[in-house]
Amino acid sequence: MAVLTHRATPRSRRSGRRLAADAGLLVVAAAFALPLAWVILSSLDAHADLRVKMPDGVTLSNFDAVLKPDITFTPLLNSLILCGGGTALTVVCAALAAYPLSRFRSRLNRPFLLTILFATSLPITAIMVPVYALFVQVNLIDTTQGTVFFFAASQLPFAIWLMKNFMDGVPKELEEAAWTDGASSLQSLVRIVLPLMGPGVAVVTVFSFVMMWGNFFVPFMLLLTPDQMPASVSINEFFGNRGTVVYGQLAAFSVIYSTPVILLYVLVARRLGGGFALGGAVKG
Amino acid sequence: MRPTAAPVLLATLLAATTLTACGSGSGSDPDTVKVSYKQSTDNSIRVMDTYLGEMKKQFEKANPGKKVELVPIKAPDSEYYTKLQQMLRSPKTAPDLVYEDTFLINSDITSGYLKPLDPYLDKWSDWGRFIGTAKAAAKAQDGKTYGVPDGTDTRGLWFDKGVFAKAGLPADWQPKTWDDILAAARTIKKKVPDVTPLNVYTGKPAGEAATMQGFEMLLYGTGDGTTDPLYDTASKKWIAGGQGFKDALGFVETVYKEKLGPDVTDALDPNFATSVRGELLPKGKLGIDLDGSWLPQDWLKGSGHEWPEWSQKLGLARMPTQHGQAPGKVSMSGGWTWSIPSKASNPDLAFTFVKTMQTKANAQKWYIANSGIAVRNDVAADPAYVKAQPGIKFFTDLVASTHYRPAYPAYPRVSTAIQEAMESVTTGDSSVDRAASAYDEELKTVTDGQVTRK
Amino acid sequence: MSAGTRAASPPVRPLGARGAAPRRGGLLRSLTRTLPLAPAVVLLLLFLAGPIVYCAYIAFTDLQLTGQAHASFVGFDNFRAAFRDDAFINAVWLTLVFTVLSSLVGQNTLGLALAALMERASKPVRTLVGAVVITAWVLPEVVAGFLLYAFFRREGTLNAILQWLHLPSQNWMFTLPILAVSFANVWRGTAFSMLVYSAALGEIPKEITEAAEVDGAGGWRRMWHITLPMIRRSIGTNLMLNTLQTLSVFGLIWVMTRGGPGNRSQTLPLFMYEQAFQNSMIGYGTAVALLLLVVGSLFSLVYMRLLRTEL
Repeated sequence: MAVLTHRATPRSRRSGRRLAADAGLLVVAAAFALPLAWVILSSLDAHADLRVKMPDGVTLSNFDAVLKPDITFTPLLNSLILCGGGTALTVVCAALAAYPLSRFRSRLNRPFLLTILFATSLPITAIMVPVYALFVQVNLIDTTQGTVFFFAASQLPFAIWLMKNFMDGVPKELEEAAWTDGASSLQSLVRIVLPLMGPGVAVVTVFSFVMMWGNFFVPFMLLLTPDQMPASVSINEFFGNRGTVVYGQLAAFSVIYSTPVILLYVLVARRLGGGFALGGAVKG
Repeated sequence: MRPTAAPVLLATLLAATTLTACGSGSGSDPDTVKVSYKQSTDNSIRVMDTYLGEMKKQFEKANPGKKVELVPIKAPDSEYYTKLQQMLRSPKTAPDLVYEDTFLINSDITSGYLKPLDPYLDKWSDWGRFIGTAKAAAKAQDGKTYGVPDGTDTRGLWFDKGVFAKAGLPADWQPKTWDDILAAARTIKKKVPDVTPLNVYTGKPAGEAATMQGFEMLLYGTGDGTTDPLYDTASKKWIAGGQGFKDALGFVETVYKEKLGPDVTDALDPNFATSVRGELLPKGKLGIDLDGSWLPQDWLKGSGHEWPEWSQKLGLARMPTQHGQAPGKVSMSGGWTWSIPSKASNPDLAFTFVKTMQTKANAQKWYIANSGIAVRNDVAADPAYVKAQPGIKFFTDLVASTHYRPAYPAYPRVSTAIQEAMESVTTGDSSVDRAASAYDEELKTVTDGQVTRK
Repeated sequence: MSAGTRAASPPVRPLGARGAAPRRGGLLRSLTRTLPLAPAVVLLLLFLAGPIVYCAYIAFTDLQLTGQAHASFVGFDNFRAAFRDDAFINAVWLTLVFTVLSSLVGQNTLGLALAALMERASKPVRTLVGAVVITAWVLPEVVAGFLLYAFFRREGTLNAILQWLHLPSQNWMFTLPILAVSFANVWRGTAFSMLVYSAALGEIPKEITEAAEVDGAGGWRRMWHITLPMIRRSIGTNLMLNTLQTLSVFGLIWVMTRGGPGNRSQTLPLFMYEQAFQNSMIGYGTAVALLLLVVGSLFSLVYMRLLRTEL
């Protein structure tokens, strides 16, 4: 008996441990899933309240009720314009900036990278009050482009940092061949480096987009006209009235508003291990 | 170079990089009046939207080629003012016409946000129809007038006759002192346990409603009931919290400590006022409500929470003074005005729109639609107006004995200090004495030390 | 340490006529080489550095949103006022509690635990847990706020569970709002730590842990003596980034409690917003913002020291 156990130890201990780990993880997952379950179940429930419960009957009426221009379509379109514009600007500027930082040795690189790294961690929330005051002075307040620029600037430090790290992973030899053929830096960046670091670019793009899509404070401060508001702000205004809010509709809108970023994330994560790549890039 | 260096640099760089080229819709159209107003956070209430929509139609018909663009700001009271002030700061966002609460108007005038209307008013014969107190409401310390009031209001006690019957209280209830109110609330709590006995607005989330409907309705009923307990006009100083102030806070504390009021979490929800009007009163879930004259606007036909039976279900009582001392009753009056921002691009057209809204017929329509109290004497005298709605007579009679807030530039911040004091006794975070002394400290800060003790 | 330090301290070259001609060519070349940096630099200067400079300026004025004709320079008044203001001190404390609870203890520990467990768990469980936790992270801030508002409300799921377990239920957002928002932040932010630690744990060579296992070291001892020391740089980085993100949380708290009731969940960002806009003291609010920025910068500098070797 004793001998038997002894022999079986490594495998059985491992599988026992796996079972324990599985159980522990499932408990945590259940805790994390409860609020998510609420939003999904309530969105399909005509009589939703604040509690997680199975709907009496599945209905799409909540979705019908919120799928209107002023509640859903306009804010989502605004979000798309703001975040799409901001992300495009971020990715282009970051790719351009990362190239010399990754490829050429200059005495400016280190101070520049240090500044970037420093800026990565600044609490953007803190500067929103002065940004608001500044935007009033220069007439950028309540403009889409002003908000796009600020979004891009606030994401740029991290985007440059990620982009440079990904770019460092692309071997330099490939470009050197292109250079001897007379290609310019820009050409080699666009034709050789970027295609080779596709996953990296995708991670930066998705990460920037997700961050902007969910951001509440920036548009809340910099935009004033209701028609320009992205979904992050309009959802709060529309459903901020807790006393009389229809929870099912709130849940339905939350689902609609969250789906794009979740899809994007899944796309990147499944194809490239996006989240894990991101974790790796910042782990230090 | 001090304050402007950074912005100027930024502006030039922006221009140089032609980043602004993609700007859209920033230019203002000389034929369009942009009108900003407060939209209810209750999605089914669209009283003002409906009325302004009608005015827009009239205006556009009478002035071919001109347009009105309505810019609703949907926010609870306390956040509406912030958004509005943010918009008024820049010519880019300043509308042509704004809906201003009179408590804030002097503050905004001092900031240079609004335009004096005297040149327009001089040439407008209807201005003579406005009663004196209304004209004064938007008159600044410089003697100029900055707004056209669209009505005024008074405040009193609303009570649910059904709840009162169950509690064995009279249907013609009229408390004589504060204690009478508390006694009625305690009776309701005991006999009708599933309703909230008494609502007194409180705390910062309720904003000015807490100060005015709640605190000032109490404070102005302390002392001799005639002198202003907040501001001393002779010395031009604000008055630190005295006994009356503490008594008023004590009333609030009692209401929430004894759980006579709504659940504190609900009371401190910025949208609680919306729930009171849309849910608690119509559903018979509230015994007594210390509130404004405008409540029925939500219950009129076509306004979202239709409840035509309200006049049978609800009773009205005057708010008594603390101990029943003369004059025996208290009311506060405020109101809103239409004002033209100093950064408006089409002020002339904006005033034309004001004139459209303020013809006798349209003004009357609005007073009735929003349950306002007429400030035009021709409407006030019109029997059709007096009879239009139950309650109008009750609240109009209160005008004779009403008080006006000392709406000087510092008032909004004094008001916030009051709300903070209320909130801290509501949650039980501090005692009445501590809250009152915290108020005194805050008062010194917000008025630059212009404080006196009485 | 290698490449970075070398680049930063190039051999000192004497300026002289000898180097003039090649230097001009070098200048042109380095100009074209740095040109791609221009758009990013312009954006960062205008929209990040600009506001920070402007912040430092407004913090010393008494600029107001309303009730004031002209703003004037007031020196350190705003800062003096802040340190005498009970509400500010309260906000500092709550910020500390919020940061320690939700970032240091919550996200960090839970993230590490999840990552460690996932190393051992079976693949389907790993995928499921990853999906759920990461979904919470990817959700927009306001949606997360609504979900947790619903979860913690008096009528919400948490109390339903507590009642089912015969435990006392309460209105979490009223009695312990700072705890409720801290949990909310853990819910929303743990995925980040989990990803960072998963990456770090994945890099520990299997032989090391297996060797320790053969030596008979138990799970906890292995964790404490082998794993943690090996990933200490990741821990440092993760702590810094978490702390900095937590310091800036605004939307989540705004949606759930708006800093209330009273100011029981009013962390510094909410205090700053309230002072600047609801109390219309933009100057004062900005002074608080500047303090927040300085604290953030200090953390940032520590973070950079941790990462020093990478550059």
